[in-house]
Amino acid sequence: MTAPPLLQVRDLTATFTRGSSATRVVQGISFDIAPGEAVGFVGESGCGKSVTARAIMRLAPEGTPLTVGGSIRYRGQELTDLPEPAMRDIRGRRIAMVFQDPMSSLNPVMTIGAQIDDMLRRHGGLSRQAARRRTIELLGLVGIRDPALRADDHPHQFSGGMRQRVLIAIAVSCQPDLLIADEPTTALDVTVQAQILRLLLRLRRELGMALMLITHDFGVIAGMVERVHVMREGNIVETGATDTIFTAPTHPYTSALLAAVPRLSERGTA
Amino acid sequence: MIRLVALRLALMLPILFGVSIVAFTLMRALPGDFAQASAGTTAISAEALETIRRNLGLDRPVWQQYLGWLAHALTGDLGTSFVTRRPVAGELLPRLAVTGELTLIAGLMAMIMGTATGLASARLRGATDWMVRGLNSLLLAVPNFVIATLIVLLAGLYFPQLAIFNYVAFVADPAGNITGLLLPALSLALTVSVTISENTRAAVLEVASQDYVMVARAKGLRRRTILVHYLVRNALTPVVTVTGLQLAALLGGSILIETIFTVPGMGQYLFDSVANRDYPAIQAIVLLSATIVLLVNVLVDITYARIDARVSYE
Repeated sequence: MTAPPLLQVRDLTATFTRGSSATRVVQGISFDIAPGEAVGFVGESGCGKSVTARAIMRLAPEGTPLTVGGSIRYRGQELTDLPEPAMRDIRGRRIAMVFQDPMSSLNPVMTIGAQIDDMLRRHGGLSRQAARRRTIELLGLVGIRDPALRADDHPHQFSGGMRQRVLIAIAVSCQPDLLIADEPTTALDVTVQAQILRLLLRLRRELGMALMLITHDFGVIAGMVERVHVMREGNIVETGATDTIFTAPTHPYTSALLAAVPRLSERGTA
Repeated sequence: MIRLVALRLALMLPILFGVSIVAFTLMRALPGDFAQASAGTTAISAEALETIRRNLGLDRPVWQQYLGWLAHALTGDLGTSFVTRRPVAGELLPRLAVTGELTLIAGLMAMIMGTATGLASARLRGATDWMVRGLNSLLLAVPNFVIATLIVLLAGLYFPQLAIFNYVAFVADPAGNITGLLLPALSLALTVSVTISENTRAAVLEVASQDYVMVARAKGLRRRTILVHYLVRNALTPVVTVTGLQLAALLGGSILIETIFTVPGMGQYLFDSVANRDYPAIQAIVLLSATIVLLVNVLVDITYARIDARVSYE
């Protein structure tokens, strides 16, 4: 009845080793993401939600050995033991990622356009001209005005919100099946946050991709995802439909997180 | 860009003016002058010394001498050597060409060795990193004239066919000229390459931890693309800075190295000129060297702007 999962994660563990000490930051979690489904991962910083994303992408920070245990299957294909070149074909092409800080996530010495072009040429095998046309199309799609002109600008000529739009354009450029957004709005102004979330929602619908939205903020999750996993100290402590989690959380930690979200209704509408 | 270059070139003039004053007064502050130096240890009457000084204009106040020199220099006349009585420019230019060639070869060598070892050190880490850094520390501790002397000794003892002291002019034998300069250039380049290597290593390590490199990896880009377009291009700015600064050091170092390898460049000429108190010659050497260093700095600034669009001098 239900579609086979796009991503199937079983008993995922992630361990950072520094010298002789090992820290297990993900303690054996399991979850599925169905094609086109939007799933939220909520938890305070350090709960292992970002490391889970990095483990799926197999992207450890430079110089930090990250050992991943358990199983991660993308369309039935095991990713944990996939050779690196094959993994490079998955990254960006099948599973793409948007990071937290747009100010430092773009290469300062390359034009915006060139940073979308190189992705398109890598995965799409497009010619220079075709990549260029598609780049301008993509910049327009994420709401950059005068995309043909702005493509030749450098990142420092863009605001934070605009840069995150560019990074989203990069992420969706090869029409991935799954977009992982790791705290995509945390570094942005509140007004811009809403715009970026709306953009993600629209792109998800238009491109039919699944979305894994990682955040510490329940306010970001609302209206964005169908299901939520609440994480704490490397474990998933509660899973449920978004509406259920909001109205009737079962785990005390979830209630505590929900209570931390400021509400307009507490002052305004009464 | 053209405005930037014009501005930077115009700014060179006051600096060169200052350099000329400092060099002029410093030389005359040294004890002794050409008259005494040329007399050497032979007994010479006070009247004879005075005659020599009067003929060369050395009896006038320093500021008058300077204004006289400046008036000529502004018309492109750098004066006449006290020793050879020929125009300084004609004496200096062929030697400058030799020194320039040596510095250029050494600079290229240092850049290639420095960036290659620095990059390997930062990317491969482990044993390569240890080896490169160990070698760098060793080379940094040994001054280039010691390295030059060692190279001369080793080559002389074990490879006599290398003919280290056979300098031939470029026009006579281009290949022989360049191979003849390789060993002097190497001894000059080694010390400088250490600075470039260490800076390249630091810059690449710094860039590698940046978020945009993580994004590049998340895009599934190939290693080569990430290395060239993300790591190296961003690490280039600090590397170009030190390379530019080091070129000035190379020019200074070449004077010593030329003496060791008996290369007929500016080095020997400067040494002789100072010993003889040949003021016009020294003045010209200082001025030309300063011009070269300033030109290199302008070149570095232009390179910055080419590499990094954030750099603007408006």
